[in-house]
Amino acid sequence: MASVRELKPMDKLSKQLKQDAGMIEVEISDELDRRINASLRSVNPVRETPRRRPAVFWWASSLTGVAAALVLIAVLNARSERDLPEAMPETSPVAMASSPVTPIIEWNAESAMLTSPLRKELDDLQSDIDKARKKVRDDIGL
Amino acid sequence: MNDCDEQDLIEAAQAGSADAFADLVRNYRVRLLRFLMTRCASHADAEDALQDTLVASYRYLNSYDPRWRFSTWLYRIAIRNAHKLRQDNVVEFGDLQDEESDPMLQCIASSETENLWVCARRVLNDEVFAATWLRYAEDMSINDISQALDRSTSWTKVNLLRARKALESELNGQRQGAEAYG
Repeated sequence: MASVRELKPMDKLSKQLKQDAGMIEVEISDELDRRINASLRSVNPVRETPRRRPAVFWWASSLTGVAAALVLIAVLNARSERDLPEAMPETSPVAMASSPVTPIIEWNAESAMLTSPLRKELDDLQSDIDKARKKVRDDIGL
Repeated sequence: MNDCDEQDLIEAAQAGSADAFADLVRNYRVRLLRFLMTRCASHADAEDALQDTLVASYRYLNSYDPRWRFSTWLYRIAIRNAHKLRQDNVVEFGDLQDEESDPMLQCIASSETENLWVCARRVLNDEVFAATWLRYAEDMSINDISQALDRSTSWTKVNLLRARKALESELNGQRQGAEAYG
């Protein structure tokens, strides 16, 4: 079933505004009519004629555009190279030993008693060193 | 005048016929003058503004965009001309309250009640008054009003609503005052 859309009736305020606008009585006097007609006849309408440009204009403008783009690219490249950091900034090492705030660590170390296998190994190593030293002396003729 | 006739007259006027243009704007002249009476400081200013509007619209008729209604275009020019004239004369909108010089008050037929447009001019600012006039006196659509005032449609809707509320509030106040003293 097709619904019939009712037109919204004009409300009281709208009606009153419309009616009161009509109460403002104006008329175009003969003198104003003559003035308007005379001024309209003296006016030359502005004609909007599209200006034709010579073909060279388009070539010149295209070349100018390309040149401007190249210059822009060159400038941007130069700027990006200049903006790169040349080298990492040198940092001076902080001397921890000389630092006045170096904490003093107290070592509570005790000498370890070497057990038998370690003593033996140390003696073997000492013996090897002595043998090697003797061999070197013999080789060089000392 | 229907749209076809109007379009024919516009084309003839664009071709340079002053007579066609005179026919085209004949029906708009009184409406424009009535509107200008509400915005100008004097009767003479309103007539000058009307003349300037018609001359400017004829001169630049070739720049008229047919997507707009012709009346919208005319009102846009009229609003600009009235504004320019007021700036030249350094007359503020609020100064148009003197009955001796106010062209709108001079043109209002005598009535027991205050004309709503006098009330509207008192409570609304210049631009909102114009929007209200175009809506209720000229039956323009929201889009046309927006184009005539060079405003967004949302601005137009919001300000028309505010104008209504302001007018209703003013009328209620007047009614209550009359009852209190009546």
